[in-house]
Amino acid sequence: MPYLILYILLLAAVCLGAFLLLRRFESRRPAAYRHAKSIWEPYLYILPVFLLLLLMFGYPLINSFVMAFQNYKLTAPNAIHFNGLANFQKLFADKDMGLIMRNSLVYVVASVAGQFILGMTLALALRKKFRGRGLYQAAVFLPWAFSAFVIGLIYRWSFNGEYGVVNDILQKLGWVGEKLAWLGTPGLSLLVVILAMIWMGVPFFAIMNLAALQSIPADVYEAADMDGCGGVRRFFAITLPYIKPTVIVTILLRTIWIFNSFDLIVVITGGGPANYSQTLPSYMYTRAFSGYDFGLASALGVLLMVLLAVYAVVFLKVTKYNRAGDF
Amino acid sequence: MRRRLKRVLAGTGRVVLLALFLLAVVLPIYWMAITSFKTHTEIIDAQNVTYFPKVFTVENYNQLFSMYDYGKMLQNSLIVSVATAVCITLLSILGGYSMARFKFRGKGAMLLFFLVTQMIPGILVIIPLYLIYAKLGLINTRFSLFMYYLIVNLPFCVITMRSFFERIPYTLEEAAYVDGCTRMQGLRRIVLPVMFPGIVAVFVFAFIGAWNELIAGTIFISTSDMWTIPVGLKSLIGKYDVKWGVLMAGGVLALLPTAVMFAVMQRFVVEGLTAGAVKE
Repeated sequence: MPYLILYILLLAAVCLGAFLLLRRFESRRPAAYRHAKSIWEPYLYILPVFLLLLLMFGYPLINSFVMAFQNYKLTAPNAIHFNGLANFQKLFADKDMGLIMRNSLVYVVASVAGQFILGMTLALALRKKFRGRGLYQAAVFLPWAFSAFVIGLIYRWSFNGEYGVVNDILQKLGWVGEKLAWLGTPGLSLLVVILAMIWMGVPFFAIMNLAALQSIPADVYEAADMDGCGGVRRFFAITLPYIKPTVIVTILLRTIWIFNSFDLIVVITGGGPANYSQTLPSYMYTRAFSGYDFGLASALGVLLMVLLAVYAVVFLKVTKYNRAGDF
Repeated sequence: MRRRLKRVLAGTGRVVLLALFLLAVVLPIYWMAITSFKTHTEIIDAQNVTYFPKVFTVENYNQLFSMYDYGKMLQNSLIVSVATAVCITLLSILGGYSMARFKFRGKGAMLLFFLVTQMIPGILVIIPLYLIYAKLGLINTRFSLFMYYLIVNLPFCVITMRSFFERIPYTLEEAAYVDGCTRMQGLRRIVLPVMFPGIVAVFVFAFIGAWNELIAGTIFISTSDMWTIPVGLKSLIGKYDVKWGVLMAGGVLALLPTAVMFAVMQRFVVEGLTAGAVKE
């Protein structure tokens, strides 16, 4: 608590300082559009955000990078020293790495595909106005606002081997004879995580796709109708090309987000059984805070960054993000 | 005639589809809610899974508050989330304004920097941040969480705010400046009032982002008096005898604020999501 007060005071002081500085700039009337009164003005406004990110995001990230090349165990604080590539050697000698890589791939591809297909379907169904659409949207988009943690709880409970409702329904339908140990069976545990992830992410895709759909001018469709264009052809010849840019950006950004997020894994399976539902980031979390081997975890982090960097370059190439310099 | 039949069929198909989606969203929530109102014996009766509580009880909710001190968790979550949301809203108004209204050297690079921070997994920052906090004596404080939530949610919020600013024509402001307003007066009196949807959207993003977070909480917080809701409930799963009724009750209460927030401000949030992520 004292830190919180201290911090708020500090923040207030900084804001006050910035405010006083601003007052000096304000003595004159603001100039025309996009011309700052002083070349420093735009920087001044963005400075707090930039400094915060640099200090609390950039600096730790560099630390993380350095730690990857160190023997850094929290359990042995006196034996911290550089050890070259030893962490990476240990990492690649880990016989579970192949499994974890494969899990990550399956998890990301299945989740993105599921979310996209269902989100697109929902957006198409929502496209035409109907009475109560606002209300319906508020309900069906709700999972977007839900915490991954609680969603994880619900799925963990529903797929519980003994008391779970999913097993009960499947048995009553006669689809399974004996109760399945969903969370204790290799393959099935990852499937439950994927299902939860899809459930959570459909609203986001639906929102994005719906916005894209609604930006298509109506007269294009009218023209197509005149020419006697069928529904399926209409979708592939008009709708899809129109929304393609939005869809690509959404998919690519979402892929990263899904890859990085692992709360569901921690809550539903804890990576089990025997790492069969572990992905790279969740493995990093497990290694860092069960064995307190921060060096090894950071090496994993560097590996992650390399993968993401490759992905990001492809992303920028495909979307021409940087040339546009715009979101 | 065939054409009309086709249209009717398509209409029915759409209604069925929409109903299925609604069902898929509602069923898991329903299951959580009714579990929270069942007695413990009914919950762990593996032979008879009941689809509506035989005995309706609020015992789970009572236990949540009396045995597990849920009130304290609520309080911690609320303090951290509100502090985060307020600070982020203020910072992104300034940052977003700068990004939207000025051309300046390094703007493109800064946007790219923001984008990159969105691509980096949180856990990569959490680990070194844990060590930094440890050095500063900030481990196990609400401040540690506040700080982390601030930096992970800021970039997206600034970008979102920027697109909201860009939609407001500059002429609106300019008139005020011609009349002798200063920049801050123009911002406060002219721009911010029409920016209401954007401000609401950013506030909701930041609040939900902080309220829902689990991983950093499990790492930075070590004693029960500092637990936020996810961290506190997570510690209950770790126990040998998992009390699902209590956990589900905790889940229901954790979802309520964000669900209400979203339902009420859905229009703004949807607008904000599309504004922040997609180029127009």
